[in-house]
Amino acid sequence: MSEARPWIINPFDEIAIEEALRIRERGEAREVVGVTIAPSAAEEQIRAALAMGLDRALRVDDRRELDPYAVARILLAVVRQEKPDLVLMGKQAVDDDANQVGQMLAGLLNWPQATFVSKIEFLNGGQRAQCTRETDRGLEVIAVNLPAVVTTDLRLNEPRYVSLPGLMKARRRPIELLTCQQLAVEVQPRTTVAATSPAPRRSAGLKVESVEDLLVRLRQHEKVL
Amino acid sequence: MDFTWSKEQTELLDAVQRFASQRLKANVIESDRNDCFNLEDWKACGQFGIQGLPAPVEYGGLGMDALTTVGALERLGYACKDNGLLFSINAHLWTVVMPLITAGTEQQKRKYLPGLCNGTLIGANAMSEPNSGSDAFSLSTTAQKAGAKYVLNGSKTFVTNGPVGDLFAVYATVDKSKGAHGVSGFLVERNTPGLVIARKLEKMGLRTSPMAELYLEDCEVPAENLLGTEGGGSFLFTRSMTWERGCILASAVGSMQRLLETCVRYANTRKQFGQPIGKFQHVAGKIVDMKLRLETCRLLLYRGAWLRTQGKSGFLEASLAKLHISDCWVKTCEDALQIHGGYGYMVEYEIERELRDALGSRLYSGTSEIQRNLIASLLGL
Repeated sequence: MSEARPWIINPFDEIAIEEALRIRERGEAREVVGVTIAPSAAEEQIRAALAMGLDRALRVDDRRELDPYAVARILLAVVRQEKPDLVLMGKQAVDDDANQVGQMLAGLLNWPQATFVSKIEFLNGGQRAQCTRETDRGLEVIAVNLPAVVTTDLRLNEPRYVSLPGLMKARRRPIELLTCQQLAVEVQPRTTVAATSPAPRRSAGLKVESVEDLLVRLRQHEKVL
Repeated sequence: MDFTWSKEQTELLDAVQRFASQRLKANVIESDRNDCFNLEDWKACGQFGIQGLPAPVEYGGLGMDALTTVGALERLGYACKDNGLLFSINAHLWTVVMPLITAGTEQQKRKYLPGLCNGTLIGANAMSEPNSGSDAFSLSTTAQKAGAKYVLNGSKTFVTNGPVGDLFAVYATVDKSKGAHGVSGFLVERNTPGLVIARKLEKMGLRTSPMAELYLEDCEVPAENLLGTEGGGSFLFTRSMTWERGCILASAVGSMQRLLETCVRYANTRKQFGQPIGKFQHVAGKIVDMKLRLETCRLLLYRGAWLRTQGKSGFLEASLAKLHISDCWVKTCEDALQIHGGYGYMVEYEIERELRDALGSRLYSGTSEIQRNLIASLLGL
């Protein structure tokens, strides 16, 4: 019972899995295939996704530190092999916060993209997807032709919790294994991390007596108003 | 014997611990203060699969063996501080679910087990009476056969889950003159006319596990709700008590692990006289004792459960585990409280509650004195 934090599915990707399952459960998709690029240690998380209800799970075996462009190119090869009508993925990974793979994949595929999506509806018998995007200016509704790449935001759904019977059943399901070699894709990192340092500590705040005092400080001292 | 968990078991146990720390959200300090049962957490446990751990897969359970089941309950006790909820789950599992699995008819199993496993039905056990506790089979509640029914009359107390129960395992005698051989078990649904939940009981600890007194007033139960055979109740009850004694304190072992870790952390960070208090031998010694108790309890727990997976009754081992773990749990709570000093006595540190919860374990499922009697008689005394 170590107190080490367990590895988890990237929460935005978990939302993408949940949405894909809901789309299938509404009868608007036939099959949901999960894809991850990871070493074998990720099998526990893949099983959790299978337990949620994936029809199939693919793992591209790779233990390198891949940058977003490399990830997008590997996914491109998988998409060309699987030929899905929709690629759903988290808007970003919560570790590196790059927020680039979805956009790059859409670009490489020359497919339309809808990013930061909090609602998806299908139009014209599934030929188009109407997506609500969460932007700084408010909710933006766009429609994209399928196939398309959609990246998911936090408020799209709340993923289901996997039950013990589900987990036990998922244990016996196969995880399909792929390699970059099989996919005929060669990736070289284009970015290098020059340095990593802890975030600076926040210094203590300041208490003000009144709203007037606050405004004076913001205008004259901080000069932000 | 090898108590190393397999890869599959480890995954399951990790999943249980993760579930408990992520999903069981009740504020236990508040619930304890207000005598409040956390129904939402009960349902979450059911949906996740806890209440179905030992039940066969065909009735909605997970079909886990005794060893894996106690391992899962241990993890639950480690990650969930709501001992009352866990006590309610244990009562449900060992006094309703397990007797149904071992003695229920096909029809009874199909009717009740899926709901009992998935958290929609709550099981309650009605054995103790105002005048029969340790001497359980001297009970006075009667069951008279009348055609296709039994008519139950009497009163029951210390009915765990009574205030919220949907299905009651009620023990009554069909013939008082037969003594223990007259005792029979019945499944009584909550809305049965004549089943009266009289009074909710307020307890020292395990306050989040609701308990009641109930009356049976000409309570008519269909004959098909007889659990096991007429007069087979004492055998049924003894068997479910063996399960209960062997498993009910699995979560206590988890709690002892958690308390140990809490105390090690505290003893390393709390400084007095210029050094961490863990450097003082009086504190370190207590923590060593906590560790020793944890390991001996775990071995007794696993060995009893392992015997059951080998098809043995494990009657003696269940009593040994119950007797030892309950005592150790109380002592470990006392030590944890003492190590935390004045803070340990404060409600917000959640140690005083653990001690109140632990004290009940020397009483329920057969008092420590009864366990000693059983063990003594098995030793030929």
